[in-house]
Amino acid sequence: MSGDGQAHAERIVGALLRAGVEIAASLPDSWLSPLIERISNEPKIRHIRVTREDDGAGVCAGASLGGKRAVLVCQNAGLLLSANALAGYAHHHQLPFLVLAVYRGSYEDRFYYQMYKGLVTEPVLDALRIPFHVVDRIEDVAIVEEAAREASLARRPVVVLLRRAALLGDAKAS
Amino acid sequence: MRRSVAARLMRERLAPSDVVVCGLGSTARAWREQNAPHPTYYASDPMGMAPALALGLALARPDRRIVLLEGDGDLAMNLGVLITIAGAAPANLRVAVFINDRYETGGGQPLPNAGRISYVTLAAGAGWPWTGEAHDEAQAARLFAALLELPQLGLVAVHVDAEESPYPPGPGPTSQAEDRALFQRRLSDER
Repeated sequence: MSGDGQAHAERIVGALLRAGVEIAASLPDSWLSPLIERISNEPKIRHIRVTREDDGAGVCAGASLGGKRAVLVCQNAGLLLSANALAGYAHHHQLPFLVLAVYRGSYEDRFYYQMYKGLVTEPVLDALRIPFHVVDRIEDVAIVEEAAREASLARRPVVVLLRRAALLGDAKAS
Repeated sequence: MRRSVAARLMRERLAPSDVVVCGLGSTARAWREQNAPHPTYYASDPMGMAPALALGLALARPDRRIVLLEGDGDLAMNLGVLITIAGAAPANLRVAVFINDRYETGGGQPLPNAGRISYVTLAAGAGWPWTGEAHDEAQAARLFAALLELPQLGLVAVHVDAEESPYPPGPGPTSQAEDRALFQRRLSDER
């Protein structure tokens, strides 16, 4: 595990705690490993491992229904899979939660199979009318906390797309 | 057994403090017709998401027992959630799956492999610590009572008749978001 990854995970979890997040649902991506490991070790956050990302959306929506702030941590492929769940919770139930999604398939990536995700993620979120923000650098980690507040105020999920540099710094990543 | 009988058997055995979450379709309709006093969140739509939402609610409110009333069509859409719930293992979540082997509200079409699916086997294989299967009223009465006496996560699969399940005549007076707010207010007031 890279030192940058651990340090960045620490800052992101710090933002989650400041935002009042108490429940996290996750499905892994290699770039997310330090963050998920840090969340799993955080005693103030109940960490739920899910088998599909839309389950994570459901868990977060249920937590929100019960008055807790929650975060879904996943790859952007999980946003694509979760389109119906995100739209339903945003516009039908109006239940807020935060989504931290790693932004695969852009200039930082090195794999053919990731590229389509980068191409369609933002247009899909636009089409779903789900607000999203891109965090390019860890110095902008305050967006995580602010997006959680935005979700609460808007009564809908808000997505934060995390670039590799924001998650791992300059470390080489698979 | 008619689904209304299964819903009544559950209502008669719930504690006053229990909170109900309903998946979509005829199971939710059977519960609504019970006019039960329990706070109830009707989780439809999206289809397939009610178990995950019930899990999140159970995690957020460990002071309340959450009882999910789920249909087989809804659960079959997302069997992976059985693994997710077993992994989280909230002690305050109980599940009853109403099995009619059909997409009742959608027109009564059969589920894939209808009649040969064992939800208790799927749940046990996913790691659920306790399951039961009811084929008639006496079994349902006994297993619902046992489910609610458990100190841990559990699931009862209850077989119900295929019946007509027409759509309600109108949309009702409140939107989902308004129902959500009312449900949250009630849960908050009951703290």
